[in-house]
Amino acid sequence: MSQTVQAVANDGMRPSGGSILVVRDLYRYFGGIKAANGVNLDVGRREIAGLIGPNGSGKSTLFSLVAGTVKPDRGQIRFDGHEIAGMSAHRIARLGLARTFQIPAMFDNMTVTENLLAGAAQGHWQGAHERAAETLGLLKLVHVADNRASDLSGGQQKLLEFGRVIMRQASLILLDEVTAGVHPNIRKIILEAIARLRERGISFLIIEHDMEMVRNVCDRIIVMDSGRVVTSGSFNDIVRNSEVMQTYLGRPQ
Amino acid sequence: MKSRLASLVLLIAAIVVLALLPALVNNYWLRIATGALMWAGLACSWNMLGGYAGYINFGQSAFFGLGAYTSALLMGDPLGLPFFATIPAGIVVTAIFAIIIGAPTLRLRGAYFAIATWAFAEVLTQFVNVVGFTGGIGGLNLPPFLDERFFYFTMFAAAVLTYLVTWALFERSRFGLKVKALRDHEPAAEAMGINTALVKLQTFVLSAVTASVFGSIFAYWVTFINPKSVFGGDITDQMVVMVLLGGLGSLWGPAIGGVGLFVINRLLWMNWGDTAFYIAILGAAIVLVVLFLPNGIAGLFAKRPAESATVLDKAVDKLVGNGEGGHS
Ligand SMILES: Nc1ncnc2c1ncn2[C@@H]1O[C@H](COP(=O)(O)OP(=O)(O)O)[C@@H](O)[C@H]1O
Ligand SMILES: [Mg+2]
Repeated sequence: MSQTVQAVANDGMRPSGGSILVVRDLYRYFGGIKAANGVNLDVGRREIAGLIGPNGSGKSTLFSLVAGTVKPDRGQIRFDGHEIAGMSAHRIARLGLARTFQIPAMFDNMTVTENLLAGAAQGHWQGAHERAAETLGLLKLVHVADNRASDLSGGQQKLLEFGRVIMRQASLILLDEVTAGVHPNIRKIILEAIARLRERGISFLIIEHDMEMVRNVCDRIIVMDSGRVVTSGSFNDIVRNSEVMQTYLGRPQ
Repeated sequence: MKSRLASLVLLIAAIVVLALLPALVNNYWLRIATGALMWAGLACSWNMLGGYAGYINFGQSAFFGLGAYTSALLMGDPLGLPFFATIPAGIVVTAIFAIIIGAPTLRLRGAYFAIATWAFAEVLTQFVNVVGFTGGIGGLNLPPFLDERFFYFTMFAAAVLTYLVTWALFERSRFGLKVKALRDHEPAAEAMGINTALVKLQTFVLSAVTASVFGSIFAYWVTFINPKSVFGGDITDQMVVMVLLGGLGSLWGPAIGGVGLFVINRLLWMNWGDTAFYIAILGAAIVLVVLFLPNGIAGLFAKRPAESATVLDKAVDKLVGNGEGGHS
């Protein structure tokens, strides 16, 4: 790791008191693999933060650690004022955190509508049927509402995964490559939905490979490599930092 | 809409016929009908956890037996409690054991739960075999009450209640959504805020106490029980085959499989007495399901692509441990 990168290694943190998510010195090894190797990052309230970095740099693991799906070896995670490191996933979710999975995690034997309702089954049941209908409309899934989730196309599954998260009525949403490999039409639907949710004051942390998408939706970009945050800044800062682009994205832009 | 009306009419017709049955058939056939209702209820109890939650229970007979023995012990000397007071007692005893077995094992992969339930049934059988107050291998007698209609209507009420509860809870409520969600993808269900360990335990307890209620009625009905007749592993085996044949994870599948296989069993018995032929039929039913009827008999009538085959995939995944972790 070069000097420059070391010097900015704390840049995932914003010196702001208004952070909804604060991660400090977070570690998780899988055998010899250092998936999280001292992660530090913040996500501000109402911020849309993009998380980029090469494959295997630990982005999805960070999501699983924050969401409680994977337990950290050590480190702190503070979400909306609660210390959540090591807490069970369902308790973290009930505090207002929602996440998608990189590989769509459908409830295969349930219909599209039932998948959405399952997102509201815990805690947000008031008006759930109306909200499910609304979400079907927003995501243009009305025509497959009664189909089984396993019968959907890959892109539609990504939409449904996103729709379930909307049903959670969360304050922070973690999106793991929701637009990867989907048709541009579906990508557009997702972008519009993110814009509408942001108006409601929801914060986002988004793992994304598509730089166009990152440029369009993210307020700030956080770069990960080898289980650490190596730098963060505006899209232009990151793109101008050609060393980061070459080292961590493998393609000068 | 039209087919919903048709199924409603069919359902009401079936209930009317069942309610009038004692006036239509002799005691011999009424006994067979009583048994058919019991097996429909037992198959449904196994399906609650196996079909809706995807957790395979190989020791369900233990809970049937706990209900039977609790009723037999409380109705006998010295307490001599009335029959209907012993049913809640059986429920309480069964719930306690289900929590003791389920709480530690339902957090783990399905194989641990399957082995724990199987081992529990084995240990309980041996325990009842050797201790004195249960009558050992000799079993227990209950105060005889020889009113076939009473037992028919009691079994009928228990079966209707079982299916009503299953329908309301698993097909029509948010509890059912939680159960099916954890069956299909446990980490995603947790991420929705669902306490999967708790929901599984609640489902298991409900499944167990349902079997215990049928055990209580069965004991009073046949007036004599022993470890083999109420704890036997073949009781669980039959429930499993009935559910697979009828349609795993469907509401009516267990009723179809339960009534169908029990009536076949009785017809064989009438013609050939106690025969190993029934075991061969159970085996054939499994082969039939695997090869030609992956969605069970209920799947033949389902409008939507039926789901039993993929429900079974989920249960097998839980047994062997796929789907846990590795979801990057
Ligand atoms: N459950 C796991 N068991 C073992 N290794 C894992 C597990 N999850 C992730 N890893 C490893 O951790 C590293 C980071 O993976 P991941 O977080 O998926 O990266 P990214 O999302 O940035 O591509 C990879 O080397 C991956 O193989
Ligand atoms: Mg990833």
